[in-house]
Amino acid sequence: MLPIHSFSSKGKMERYPYTNGHTGAYPMGGKSFSIHPNRFQPRSHTALRRRRGFLIRLAALASLGFLLLLLIFPSLRYTLLPAVSLGLFSGTPDLQLETVRYYDLSNVQGSARGWEREERILLCAPLRDAAPHLPMFFSHLRNLTYPHKLIDLAFLVGDSKDNTMDLLTELLEGLQDDPDPKQTFGEISIMEKDFGQKVDQDVESRHGFAAQAGRRKSMAQARNWLLSAALRPVHSWVYWRDVDVETAPFTILEDLMRHNKDVIVPNVWRPLPDWLGGEQPYDLNSWQESDTALELAKTLDEDAVIVEGYAEYATWRPHLAYLRDPYGDPDMEMDLDGVGGVSILAKARVFRTGVHFPAFSFERHAETEGFGKMAKRMKYSVVGLPHYTIWHLYEPSVDDIRHMEEMKAELEEERKKEQEEKERIEKIQDQFETSDGQWKADMAVIKEVQREEENAQKAKEDAQKAKAVREESETREAEKLPGKRRSNQPGAAAGPEDNDDGQDDASNELEKPGSG
Amino acid sequence: MATSRSLRRTNPITLGLATILTIGFLFFIFSTPSDPSPSKKRTKGPDIAANILSPASLPFKKSGGDESERPPPVVRYRMNNVTTTSDPIGNRETILILTPLARFYQGYWDNLLQLSYPHELISLGFIIPKNWEGNTATSQLQERIKKTQSGPQKKRFASITILRQDTEIPLQSQSEAERHKMQNQKARRAAMSKARNSLLFTTIGPTTSWVLWLDSDVVESPPTLIQDLASHNKPVIVPNCYQRYYNNDKKAMDVRPYDYNSWVDSTIAQSLAEKMGDDDILLEGYPEMATYRSLMAYMFEENGDPTKEVQLDGVGGTALLVKADVHRDGAMFPAFAFYHLIETEGFAKMASRLGWTSFGLPNYLVSHHLIGKICSIQN
Repeated sequence: MLPIHSFSSKGKMERYPYTNGHTGAYPMGGKSFSIHPNRFQPRSHTALRRRRGFLIRLAALASLGFLLLLLIFPSLRYTLLPAVSLGLFSGTPDLQLETVRYYDLSNVQGSARGWEREERILLCAPLRDAAPHLPMFFSHLRNLTYPHKLIDLAFLVGDSKDNTMDLLTELLEGLQDDPDPKQTFGEISIMEKDFGQKVDQDVESRHGFAAQAGRRKSMAQARNWLLSAALRPVHSWVYWRDVDVETAPFTILEDLMRHNKDVIVPNVWRPLPDWLGGEQPYDLNSWQESDTALELAKTLDEDAVIVEGYAEYATWRPHLAYLRDPYGDPDMEMDLDGVGGVSILAKARVFRTGVHFPAFSFERHAETEGFGKMAKRMKYSVVGLPHYTIWHLYEPSVDDIRHMEEMKAELEEERKKEQEEKERIEKIQDQFETSDGQWKADMAVIKEVQREEENAQKAKEDAQKAKAVREESETREAEKLPGKRRSNQPGAAAGPEDNDDGQDDASNELEKPGSG
Repeated sequence: MATSRSLRRTNPITLGLATILTIGFLFFIFSTPSDPSPSKKRTKGPDIAANILSPASLPFKKSGGDESERPPPVVRYRMNNVTTTSDPIGNRETILILTPLARFYQGYWDNLLQLSYPHELISLGFIIPKNWEGNTATSQLQERIKKTQSGPQKKRFASITILRQDTEIPLQSQSEAERHKMQNQKARRAAMSKARNSLLFTTIGPTTSWVLWLDSDVVESPPTLIQDLASHNKPVIVPNCYQRYYNNDKKAMDVRPYDYNSWVDSTIAQSLAEKMGDDDILLEGYPEMATYRSLMAYMFEENGDPTKEVQLDGVGGTALLVKADVHRDGAMFPAFAFYHLIETEGFAKMASRLGWTSFGLPNYLVSHHLIGKICSIQN
């Protein structure tokens, strides 16, 4: 530094800058400078600086040692860091982790008024190729009156060939993003698991008798996977719901819960087109055990599965579905042994203690029916509500579709037939006209003959009395002939066709209720 | 503010570079342990859950005050990627160790801590009855857990769940002599089944690969227990459980068989079962009900090959390794007579109905806690 050569006013030294004659040997920032021997003189900075330097070095050494220590023993980082940084530096997420959970299961037994006690429900829905039904299902979810925060949703998506997974994720995220805090649900988990089921999910193969046992077992497997992955110690209730329910009361959870039963199911029907009778029982898996069925079960192989609703196994069981009275008391209960899976509300305790959907033949039943049986076996109450009905979506079966096509064709045919009938009647009319003319002509001929005969008779009245008998028989013959012709002629023209039509109609009439 | 001379003199660029270097250095140090987790996440699904409602087999983030306002996110679990193989460590397979706990033994906890399986892959689950004894056990357990979970990272377990039992306890006394009385067996084991199932179905998560059932009185096992059992890659596998005791005849410590529930079925037992009522159960180890089943307990050979496998029809629950898939398919511990079997034996039967076979390792030993009094289990 050479301040002499610098020309800036700040750095420039002046020989006598001070009025008291001191040379400005020390740059004092332009202020007057004086030393008084009797005033306190602060200690020069160097000593302080030296001490501070020492302290800084010490701190640097300590922090270096600390860093080294952290470097060598990584486990120390998690304990030492937050203490040193007063919780400001806790960059690793592990530090904020809680690993211990404590639950008392006697707090989650489930009661009749769960919404008041803040009881959590796990809503389970197994899905496969269910994309078309999802929007409807989500509208049902939104409408549920049970506090949404207390409902945890769990889905199992498996072996889907359509966009179920993407659509589901999108809809669920939409659900959770709802600005209304009352609309958002609790925990939502989607399990993705393919079991490699070969059975198709279309209506026909789903309900074919031969496919039933295998299908029910793989469905049971999916349900068990879903439940075991989603059930938590906080759940008091588990609700199973199919996505293809079309109409259900918004209060269904509360309605079923109010009965305070271990396992409870509503009645499941489905609407039908008018030509099929308007409505029909849908879920035939909710039933009471019968002696016939028990006897039947004894005769069957260990791995056989009795499925309800097929002629192959006539069980004569009282079905919940058939006991419905549209005007009956919706709170009426009926004890059941097997239940259907469309909508089951069960206490979580039932599932916790081991009742599940047997994916094997349990007492000759599988899936939800086996579930009912197993719950009964473990002395849980299993009931159904015959007059409380939810409506399953009507999907026309292949038979129905065929029938509908037939009906359409029939309608077409009928219209065609009507057309034909009209044409035919016109034709007949034409034919009738000609025959009418002929008949008139005949009549004229007859009248002429009669007149001639009368004239002849008048002429020969007195003259030929002996020949009168012969003459009379002749006139009778002549009268008979036109009468015969009259009755025969229209019949010969339209008779056979008419007959055929009549038979056709009759057979159609017979077929309709039979195939329905 | 007086800065040191050296600092004042150095070029600001140098200082800036040094700062950047230091920050980089610090970042490098502290980010290393959390680095591998994102790559793991992609294949294994979520390793850390967002809230307490998450599967019990996952640790969760502590919720702050504002946390409750945000709804939980949609979590997708790829269960197709959950594997159970003979190399569980290599494939980072998570294991759930489940213990119905009636009494707390320090030996049990020490044995658990010495397991060499990576602890971050281990979740623990306990179910404890709600009575005085259970309360004591709970407080003892919680004390040990607190110590372990705040101790060195390597020893910490991924998550721990403690459940208090809701089912009634048929027997107040858990003393071994009382416990093994024949008429008490069915009620006791039914309650035990319910406890086991409650524990299992609430703690098994979508990411669990294996489930190890370990009794609270197992005090000695090889540190590699999990790896050894898993290496057989069997759906259900059970080692031979022995009890150490002081042999008065030999005047030395000796071992004797303990778990009689692992067996191969016999025709005599089956014909016995046929004559029984629907709700009656067959029991093992009682002279008044001689089943002539071949018990794995007696298949032990001195100096035998520890990897020797035996196919079993009934298994005991003292130490039992099960693939999570078996439980997920529905194999549980029946609390009722299932083919005249109950609890763990019934479990083996149910697993076999679902197409899963059980195996035993007669020469692989796990030790049971010794009760001071000699109990009446030997006949």
